[in-house]
Amino acid sequence: MLKIRNLQSGYGKLKVLKNVSMHVEEGEIVTIIGANGAGKTTLLSTIAGLIRATSGEMVFKGRNIDGMAPQKIPALGCVMVPEGRQVFAPLSVEENLILGGHILKKEGRPTLERQLETQYALFPILKERRNQYAGTLSGGEQQMLAMARALMSKPALIMMDEPSTGLAPLIVQDIFRVIVQLRDEGKTVLLVEQNAKAALQVADRGYVFETGQVVLQGSAPELLEDEEVKRAYLGKDYGEFYDGKA
Amino acid sequence: MMEKPDTHVCIPADRSQMVLERLQSTLNRAFRNVSFHRQRFQEKGIDPSNIQALDDIRRLPFTTRQHLSENYPYGLFAVPLRDIVRIHTAPGTTANPTVSGYTRQDLGIWESMVATALRSSGVTPDDILQISLDPGLATWGRDYQSGAETLGASVIPNTLMSVEKQVMVMRDYKPSTLVTTPSYAQQLAAHLENKGLDPNGFSLQKLILVGEPASPEQRDFLEDKLQVRTWQHFGLSEVPGPALAYECETRSCLHVNDDHFLPEIIDPVTGEVLPMGHVGELVLTTLTTRAYPLIRFRTGDMARILPDACDCDCRLVRIEWRPERSDRLLRIRGVKVHEQQILSGIEKALGMAPQHACMFENRYREKIFLEIWIAVDKALFSDEIKMLEARMKTVRDQVQEDTGVPVIVRLKEWASIVACKLA
Repeated sequence: MLKIRNLQSGYGKLKVLKNVSMHVEEGEIVTIIGANGAGKTTLLSTIAGLIRATSGEMVFKGRNIDGMAPQKIPALGCVMVPEGRQVFAPLSVEENLILGGHILKKEGRPTLERQLETQYALFPILKERRNQYAGTLSGGEQQMLAMARALMSKPALIMMDEPSTGLAPLIVQDIFRVIVQLRDEGKTVLLVEQNAKAALQVADRGYVFETGQVVLQGSAPELLEDEEVKRAYLGKDYGEFYDGKA
Repeated sequence: MMEKPDTHVCIPADRSQMVLERLQSTLNRAFRNVSFHRQRFQEKGIDPSNIQALDDIRRLPFTTRQHLSENYPYGLFAVPLRDIVRIHTAPGTTANPTVSGYTRQDLGIWESMVATALRSSGVTPDDILQISLDPGLATWGRDYQSGAETLGASVIPNTLMSVEKQVMVMRDYKPSTLVTTPSYAQQLAAHLENKGLDPNGFSLQKLILVGEPASPEQRDFLEDKLQVRTWQHFGLSEVPGPALAYECETRSCLHVNDDHFLPEIIDPVTGEVLPMGHVGELVLTTLTTRAYPLIRFRTGDMARILPDACDCDCRLVRIEWRPERSDRLLRIRGVKVHEQQILSGIEKALGMAPQHACMFENRYREKIFLEIWIAVDKALFSDEIKMLEARMKTVRDQVQEDTGVPVIVRLKEWASIVACKLA
């Protein structure tokens, strides 16, 4: 579904991603794990078109998306749930959701209504709070709203950036349960997480990033058992283990 | 452009993404974690980000057996020792043994690879598998054992026994599959014939030949004499193990397990990559190994990549393994032995380097061994036969210990070595 080859990307002169290749198959949950600054968010932002790649190829559902404007990418079926939720605080929950469904405009009101109902079924709490300002929701509810807003456009691929950040463990469990449910309903998920353990427990495959490069990849159960993953997650550098010896 | 197949490594386009991802992460880790690889990359002025397609692999430097020896024991490990769960020692082909490490994941991969190869050779959980390998291939014995156990077959592990005892086990334990070298299989066949034993009285059905390529005539001979079907496996005796290429049910070629190894064929003299179908030296790069990544390892084995698809369903790269070698390694009973290794063994035993020595595989009745001829000179000569015999014995013991294969030493005149065109 998504194929990336030799992606290089960054901010100005700062090169963050150095030759990253990865892919996501339809119906999979693929997780990207790694320490702070490993390039996980940069990868999602580059796929979403928010950052222009300096080189490399990105193909989504057979279409080249390098250099495509960010507002055109959701229409292809690829949406991003940004880190820190970023819901529209002064708008109500339902208004936030309707905004998320703006690309359904052509399909008419009934489709939009159906989509709203689908999201309310997935996140019943949002239905209870449909008229409340988004800014008054708890962190967990805001995360659910951000996910529901992304799902409004009926995407094939949902990219989630650190959905567990700043949430209580019980809420994190709920969020991850929904992620699994989405996969079971046939959606594809690309999940960026610092919480490697939680992410690998729900994912099918994973890539481990270290300073902008993929250093390890494999099936989620395999990575979960890997000593190196634990180290990457803890943010320790190999130098700490090697300098004495190498 | 993305779907363009990577030509010289001949991985189909739909699998090339996965293989490229594995290659890139292997290189990234090797570059970060192994100073030897980092240095070699830097000498060539490249870093892993220059490798953007499978074809780019040709820009990377080769790794040779000499490098393995120079980095003895842990210099090529890419993970800290505490992540290593097994350390294998193979006799190697230089003064130092070859050491390879495995993480738990690596062992899992090997077990499944060997199991896949065995399954391809028709081994099922109902089979009883007997392993009979020389001490020089002892590490393979363990790998075959774990692979067969993973598959669910019953295993009679590798044990040092006389041919007679091996035959007894084969008759009484009723193994259906035997894993051994073509040389040893021939020795068995000859033994059965000499003793007048009928192979039809045994339960043996499958013979898995490892360590050296058996010629079609040799296979016909063994199939006839032992009443079995033969299957060929290919592996590396030093690292990381056996069965990285194996025959499918068509038995027409070897399939390289290219989910885990990327094969290339090069000109052994120039190091240039050869077009598909040409015979050259087989070079392998590991794709999934964590503890001991090998980058463009020169196997010394000669092979060619077969361009056509196989009749079987499997889409792995096909190779034909050739009997010749591109280096000065002798293959004695499937065990690789380097001339230099033998010479240094002789030197160690005699306390001096022999002026002339030559070595080759030989056979006496059914037994195959390494024969060494040493030219007698003034320094070596003694007028006491006992003394000469003692010297020969020390050389034999030393080389036997170093290489793990049976050895016979003969003292010869230089002229007779020349006359036999062995000098």
